[in-house]
Amino acid sequence: MDLFAYLDPGSGSMLLQMLLGGIAGIAVSIKMFGKRVFGALAFWKKDEEKAEPEGPAGKAEAEDDQTERVKETV
Amino acid sequence: MPADATTEPGSFRDRDSRVVVADDDVLRVLSERGAEDWHALAGSPLLERLIAEGKLVGTEEVDASAAGPAAGVVEGGAAAVLRHERVPFVSYPYEWPFGMLRDAALLQLDLELSALDAGLTLKDATPYNVQFRGSEPVFIDVGSFERLREDEPWAGYRQFCMLNLYPLLLQAYRDVPFQPWLRGSLDGISPREAAGLFSLRDRLRRGIFTHVALHARLERRYEEREGGEVKRDLKKARFKPELIKANVQRLRKLVARLSWKAGDTAWTGYRAQNTYSDADDAAKADFVRAAAAERPGGLAWDMGCNDGAYSRIAAEQADTVVAFDSDHPTVEALYRSLREQCDQRILPLVVNLADPSPGLGWRGRERRPLEDRGRPDLVLALALVHHVSITANVPLAEFLDWLHGLGARVVIEFPKREDPMVRRLLSGKREGSNADYDLAVFERDLEDRFTVDRREELPSGMRVLYLVRPAG
Repeated sequence: MDLFAYLDPGSGSMLLQMLLGGIAGIAVSIKMFGKRVFGALAFWKKDEEKAEPEGPAGKAEAEDDQTERVKETV
Repeated sequence: MPADATTEPGSFRDRDSRVVVADDDVLRVLSERGAEDWHALAGSPLLERLIAEGKLVGTEEVDASAAGPAAGVVEGGAAAVLRHERVPFVSYPYEWPFGMLRDAALLQLDLELSALDAGLTLKDATPYNVQFRGSEPVFIDVGSFERLREDEPWAGYRQFCMLNLYPLLLQAYRDVPFQPWLRGSLDGISPREAAGLFSLRDRLRRGIFTHVALHARLERRYEEREGGEVKRDLKKARFKPELIKANVQRLRKLVARLSWKAGDTAWTGYRAQNTYSDADDAAKADFVRAAAAERPGGLAWDMGCNDGAYSRIAAEQADTVVAFDSDHPTVEALYRSLREQCDQRILPLVVNLADPSPGLGWRGRERRPLEDRGRPDLVLALALVHHVSITANVPLAEFLDWLHGLGARVVIEFPKREDPMVRRLLSGKREGSNADYDLAVFERDLEDRFTVDRREELPSGMRVLYLVRPAG
């Protein structure tokens, strides 16, 4: 981490730059998110999911997101 | 170093690079780390090229001792000191028309792309790093260039969105003036605020889904995650500068295509439709030309500049003319025409004199009030006083007090009560309102404060011009 940078780049903003990085960004995105995406989909692997530090919180957030998405489309 | 050297109050955020102003010199004091970044820039072919192209402010390294007692403004003392060319008049994004903010944004993106090719990057992306020489944007924060860390995203992206992209999108897509937003917050519009300003239908428009909606969503979702952790993860996933480049190129394309179709307001067609006769116009032009020629050089303000016809006349003599008007579309049209002519003398700004830019930011000093950024030597107040007095209801005597305080020679025009425009402005008001708006009262108040060097009634008989200088 750069302790000297005076500007907070923002976590979400950093991740977005990866997503917007075109073809090169896809590879990095899969590396970053792939595990989490598969982790969320792989509902049968309960033990591993718990082992992930962000597991339960991430899942709760994902659910929140889904409800929000539903609200938005409505 | 002269004793009256002062640290520029707007440059405190970056601890590695601070600006000190002393007499005619603008110095940048760099810390050890700031100096290393500077040497990386100075060692690349970029510096010379950017200065030669006028994109970067003139900069030279001077002896570190030049900082004198100001060396202590950076941690560990001055490791290097730079001297910058002075910008004729400092202006801020909340005073710019759309085109100026767009060109300032494009300049920053172009510099970031050039920097990436040279193994450098810009550490921030704020339009306050850009100033204008007339209509030409110039990047002034040499301290923003730093060495690129290959596995980190662009730290300036979020700031670019908040202070450049969102204000431009707001104006281009929703026709909402961005200046009050930028004046209201020096940090700009956050992704979440921006997401709330655009409709679902807007998401189909270029740039909104990704840079606004997705940005806001990711920000909310990853609010709790520490920046350092994200940086480590990105490093592990092999983030590379190509990603920054691809994103900056997309941003550039997006910004370059943004346009604002300024609706025809009452003022953009003013010259074609106004009530003046050609004889009045010619007499006025001669009057202004003669007044400007009496004392060439210096700074002139053209208040209520409209299409800039008189700014151009003043610019025949003045070094710099700041052309104000409160009507955004008018100033936009003026900027476009000046830009086409590559004008370097006339700076067009959106300013409402009844509500001019105040001091803003930390201690109210980070961004300075309009009057503190350079006093004029000549002021043009043509076809203005009736708007200030009748539309904005500023008492005439108070307006003259303020004018007197500027300490400049003034060319002021007084349209009589019978003038068609004055009658129009008064028509919506109650009978007898603005009683102080009267030629005799005006002349008495004017002579109380100024020495009248010349008085000329225009051929139509509706308007009187005065050239005055502060008395006493």
